[in-house]
Amino acid sequence: MTAMGIIFANIYDSSLGELTNKRTMASLPYGGRYRQIDFTLSNMVNSGIRHIGIISRFNYQSLMNHIGSGEEWDLELQEGGLEFLTPYSMSHNSSYRGKVEALHSALEALEYSSGEDYVVLADSGVLCNIDLGKVLEAHVASGKDLTVVTKAGIANGTKQLDLAIKLDKGGQIADLAVDYVATSEYLASMALFVISRELLVHHVRECMARNRYRFERDFLMRQFQAGNLSVNVYEFQGVALFNESTEEYFNNNLAIIGKEVRHNLFGGAHPIYTKVRDRVPSYYGEDCHVENCIVADGCVLEGNARHSVLFRQVTIGQGAMVEDSLIMNDTVVGEGCELKCVILDKDVVVRPGTKLIGTPNNPVIVKRGEQI
Amino acid sequence: MYFQKKRCIAMLLAGGQGSRLKVLTENTAKPAVPFGGKYRIIDFPLSNCVNSDIDTVGILTQYQPLELNEYIGNGQPWGLNKSHCCAQVLPPYARSKKSEWYKGTANAIYQNIGFIKRFDPAYVLILSGDHIYKMDYAAMIAFHEKTGADCTIAVRDVPLEEASRFGIMNTKPDGTIYEFEEKPKQPKSTNASMGIYVFNWKVLEQFLVADEENPDSENDFGKNIIPALLETGHKLMAYTFQGYWKDVGTIDSLWEANMDLLGKKPAFDIRGGERSRIYARNNALPSSYVDQDAKTVNCFIAEGSEIYGTVRHSIISTGCFVGENALVEDSVIMPGVTIETGAIVRHAIIGEGTRICRGAVVGGAYGPKEKRKISVTQKNAVVAENTVLLPGEML
Repeated sequence: MTAMGIIFANIYDSSLGELTNKRTMASLPYGGRYRQIDFTLSNMVNSGIRHIGIISRFNYQSLMNHIGSGEEWDLELQEGGLEFLTPYSMSHNSSYRGKVEALHSALEALEYSSGEDYVVLADSGVLCNIDLGKVLEAHVASGKDLTVVTKAGIANGTKQLDLAIKLDKGGQIADLAVDYVATSEYLASMALFVISRELLVHHVRECMARNRYRFERDFLMRQFQAGNLSVNVYEFQGVALFNESTEEYFNNNLAIIGKEVRHNLFGGAHPIYTKVRDRVPSYYGEDCHVENCIVADGCVLEGNARHSVLFRQVTIGQGAMVEDSLIMNDTVVGEGCELKCVILDKDVVVRPGTKLIGTPNNPVIVKRGEQI
Repeated sequence: MYFQKKRCIAMLLAGGQGSRLKVLTENTAKPAVPFGGKYRIIDFPLSNCVNSDIDTVGILTQYQPLELNEYIGNGQPWGLNKSHCCAQVLPPYARSKKSEWYKGTANAIYQNIGFIKRFDPAYVLILSGDHIYKMDYAAMIAFHEKTGADCTIAVRDVPLEEASRFGIMNTKPDGTIYEFEEKPKQPKSTNASMGIYVFNWKVLEQFLVADEENPDSENDFGKNIIPALLETGHKLMAYTFQGYWKDVGTIDSLWEANMDLLGKKPAFDIRGGERSRIYARNNALPSSYVDQDAKTVNCFIAEGSEIYGTVRHSIISTGCFVGENALVEDSVIMPGVTIETGAIVRHAIIGEGTRICRGAVVGGAYGPKEKRKISVTQKNAVVAENTVLLPGEML
């Protein structure tokens, strides 16, 4: 039983606004030293998947720069390894409209792969540390056509889910809905699916022949309702963080300060790999006061930080106070600054004495490379 | 296989036992001893090579090579795994006629003449794997080329009262070496050898072969090769290096070199840009976590660590845990160490993977003028609950 992986790099780009202006959802920095795709890639590699295609439609320069040849994930292989499926490297020379269309453009990679039986489909908007080997086993044991990995407790009556599933008491699917603001008894799809390679290729062809290009709506729900597709629901028990809006992204970053989330994502036997940057350890100065923070490597902290995530090589000047904020790589917070509920993107310079105050629902965002 | 001709290759002597580091090198070669939170000593000469455009490095190992070999691997962390360059570990090996351990530094190079010849280099740079410094070897090689020397030796100015602990190069005003004295009682100058040599390969090869045939030789660069070159009228030049350099061969000097990284203006700035960065093998560890009640003052904390207690004037390496109400002061905590709730560690070097159990006390406090005694634990040691490891004591 072998599987290949397909990762969609651009899902939800538009709902993250300025943060995904110049990068894909997949290459969005997360948790101090990571990009969101590190979780998906590491989950696949940790589960023995050695052939992974990354489908991206635009803004993929930073993603390619991050992943390179895939050596940090041990994907620098003679056979299989990593494939970038970008619009111009595929048969289409324009961008795709939905995941089915994207898969259609990637049929070559799917059909001529080195004979894997299954395909694991994932995007990089949901962060978790999951044993995909178990999901594959459960899929095979279920005898169903497709497995969707779900999470309880995400549906809350206000958040719109791409795919929501309600089970009856016997564990059978009672309702399956797409683009749906579901109530809390629904399970949320983690946009993580297992299907046999042959069946996927077949359905992608059938869908595209009828100009149906959306995975959840046009393929999964339609075929399920028509009785042409049996669906197995796998309920994931670990922590799953859905980063589908700026607000979620902001709060889910701060969430790893909590022990449970942090240990669930990073504490187990399966490490999350990322690109090595060879930065020195972080330096804490004579007068700094840092509490309740996640701190990546290479920081120089002369000032104060509370309940914040400090990414690689962040500088915080003397007397500054950073609170409830995300400070991304190489950003400099000047002396005496006061920041609360702020997302500073990479390479930002905040001049000494600046005051920036946002709210948890509406953090202040400073774009990459800006000086304020 | 095709070997590209190289202008200069480096040979890194990494076989030393480092017995003065005592328990820290019981099961590890000195160059593999952790340093500065996420590095090992060998990262410094290796990174210097890479930063000086030297892309072929032979690493001579002998004592406890397992960990070192594993660490170097294919040289990927230093970018030395490409088709035109390499980091090649060279242990002693059995030959058809005779096989033997490396008898001395010169013999180690002699036994690998075959390796060097494959690259047909003009120059060979000899390095040792137990010094902490950043140096542009390219500048030294350019100096060597410009002066037309047969051998150039890097030297640094040491205080006169310490000069008798070093190999001293006595030079003419133009830097030409006319005399070499190993640990002189009455030093004539203060140019101490740093154990870094650039040789014209043709000359070195000839002298290595001759030295090997001399049964009375100790087969050592300092004791035999350099004096032999001087005797035969070869041109030896001293190349003065002014940056930070520390031989971390003793517990005290290893502790001091780690402490030299700290402060707003550190004695040794480990940070660096493009050509002064130190590269290391990185493990997949998350960012570190600093708790609400933690205090972190004047310290380096590497990735994967969780800090709940107080850390002052110390180095916390990758993957360490400092529990609630624990105190770490003036100490070097090597990777993977657990310091449990309420434990106190002062003036200590804590070996990799050590567990300091609840309420244990390691080391002591000193005034600025008092003589420090550093407590040391070896790899994977356990300091039991509520026990004491006295100042200067080793476990």
